[in-house]
Amino acid sequence: MTGARRVTESALGRLGLSGRALVVAVPLVWLLVFFLIPFLVVAKISLSEVTIARPPYLPLLEWDGLRATLNLNFENYAYLWNDPLYGNAYLFSVRVAFVSATLALLIGFPMAYYIARSPEPRRTLLLTAVILPFWTSFLLRVYAWQGFLRSNGVINNTLISLGIIDTPIVMLQTDFAVYIGIVYTYLPFMILPLYANLVKLDDSLLEASADLGGRPVATFFYVTLPLSMPGIIAGFMLVFVPAIGEFVIPELLGGPNTLMIGRVLWNEFFANRDWPVASAVAIAMLVVLVVPIMALRSAQARAEEKR
Amino acid sequence: MSQPQPSLAPKPWLSSEATPFVRIQKVTKKFGDFTAVDDVSLDIYRGELFCLLGGSGCGKSTLLRMLAGFETPTEGRIIIDGQDMAGIAPYDRPTNMMFQSYALFPHMTVEANVAYGLLREGVRKAEARERVAEMLRMVQLTQFARRKPHQLSGGQRQRVALARALVKQPKLLLLDEPLGALDKKLREETQYELIRIQETLGVTFIIVTHDQEEAMTLSTRIGVMNAGEIVQVGEPPEIYEFPKSRFVADFVGSVNIFPGRVVEDEPDFIRLDSPEMGGTIHVGHGVSCTLNQQMWFAIRPEKITVTRDRPDAEHNVVQGLVEEVLYMGNLTAFRIRLDSGKTIRATRANLSRQEHEPISWDERVWLHWGDTSGVVLAQ
Ligand SMILES: Nc1ncnc2c1ncn2[C@@H]1O[C@H](COP(=O)(O)OP(=O)(O)O)[C@@H](O)[C@H]1O
Ligand SMILES: [Mg+2]
Repeated sequence: MTGARRVTESALGRLGLSGRALVVAVPLVWLLVFFLIPFLVVAKISLSEVTIARPPYLPLLEWDGLRATLNLNFENYAYLWNDPLYGNAYLFSVRVAFVSATLALLIGFPMAYYIARSPEPRRTLLLTAVILPFWTSFLLRVYAWQGFLRSNGVINNTLISLGIIDTPIVMLQTDFAVYIGIVYTYLPFMILPLYANLVKLDDSLLEASADLGGRPVATFFYVTLPLSMPGIIAGFMLVFVPAIGEFVIPELLGGPNTLMIGRVLWNEFFANRDWPVASAVAIAMLVVLVVPIMALRSAQARAEEKR
Repeated sequence: MSQPQPSLAPKPWLSSEATPFVRIQKVTKKFGDFTAVDDVSLDIYRGELFCLLGGSGCGKSTLLRMLAGFETPTEGRIIIDGQDMAGIAPYDRPTNMMFQSYALFPHMTVEANVAYGLLREGVRKAEARERVAEMLRMVQLTQFARRKPHQLSGGQRQRVALARALVKQPKLLLLDEPLGALDKKLREETQYELIRIQETLGVTFIIVTHDQEEAMTLSTRIGVMNAGEIVQVGEPPEIYEFPKSRFVADFVGSVNIFPGRVVEDEPDFIRLDSPEMGGTIHVGHGVSCTLNQQMWFAIRPEKITVTRDRPDAEHNVVQGLVEEVLYMGNLTAFRIRLDSGKTIRATRANLSRQEHEPISWDERVWLHWGDTSGVVLAQ
């Protein structure tokens, strides 16, 4: 055992690698291969010109036997900038993601708080219930919502049979359905970090606040809320960021007007087969996203430091 | 028992007219099957500095938490200032507590921690700032006002917790092991400060401690707890000199205990036959007991005199071998093995700076005590 270890170690040593470097190298290589290289490929495509060919874009670098010419094409970005469709889709996506994350926070916070304050057997049970939906396919669950929301779906049928409404309410293919879908799907991502934070909350701090005259509302706003800020920010990011690029939910539950950036991207790639514009959309989305993510990250770092 | 009682100045707990400020009536607290506080009844008077003294896990904190409103008594009543506390939330009680774990708000500065209670009470910001500054001056934390709790030492945190509880000047202050993390000097200063606050503000204090010395120096009265019960309540000298049980005698200060059988029971003296002492113990006052009853004789080390020559006394004289001598500055402590095999402790005040031929190891010495120096205990 130790002999084998020594052999590997000395072999690694000859390659100039220590164990520590190896451990760091694995995620680095992973990021390089599966994130950085694809990103560069997409960035490259976004700068090329569309053509009817396979692949459907012209190469950046041309070699005519004597000279290499670099054809950088910023047309795609200019196109995004000039056509209001894209800007609106970005704004709409950010709005939907923000509202959804806020709703998820408002719903998730009480749930996480209740779970974190529950005694042990119940706590594990509730936590399992939060994770349980992941055991079935995400797609199936979104389809199930179609069954609930459509005109002759579960909700409308129930309301009609109870005599509360006469004509079905149009819910499917509306923004409302998109919000429901996103909040429903991403709620566990809000609850879990909040739970992890709230479960660490020291009871005696709440007692101290009450002892010093803090009523429950004051205790919540002056003690619980500030101390759970890192969890709130983490949960918010985990919902907000992926919700911006969400494609499946607006596609299945939203109407034709629900133009979120993920759907635009999909249409450019597969309907228009305009890979360069689609790539430009993707890159622009990334750039637009980096700003709020950085803001949230630094807010989180500040909240962590306060503890 | 007809043992002599200490003579006491008039004090509220001695008068039958005084109304207690805090009344704890037959209070029991159970956690599942476990009884943490067992049928405790206690009256505490306005302006007292009452110490709950007991070993770890005996239920002191639980009793305090019931007064603060964090635990509900399983049985019994708690009345503070004439008001039954049943169903009254902590934030509506006239109490403030200093937590054993300090429970400082980690996201607030020292200043904000201390101001918290005042602001919740609706005190205006300017006034709160003034009172906080004064409080911080008192606990010598002025230059740390802007720090967060995690940037402070243990002793400093303890002082913040103390300041936070004191600043509201509640009618009843509950302190859970308030001075544990302070070094000796700061601890003594804070003790004086507590006494000063108690005297100037007339605040009533209930202090939980496991440190009997602290209880002795601080308190007007001590309640000794054991396994959830209050076993004795009294003023410090009473607890020390007139313990009612071996537990109290042993827990408060150090003591030598001899089991003995009553062989003579007269109105003005009794005699106990004690094989462990190697003879009979003569007690110079009457004790309510019966002949042949098993009793315990407890005597404190400082009440035993150690001499090289046989003392000129009729009773309570034994011989032993010095096993250990500990020089402690103000006094010297001896451990002496009696001929019966029992080891006992005796101390002697170091009255002169240099003793001629002090008693030392392996010497045979005589021990003697006065016939009213010890206590006879039935349990
Ligand atoms: N919330 C609780 N649940 C169960 N047992 C408890 C609880 N609080 C205290 N106890 C038990 O009650 C006993 C007394 O505790 P405590 O009052 O904290 O003792 P101390 O005298 O050291 O302050 C201990 O044995 C402790 O384990
Ligand atoms: Mg305790």
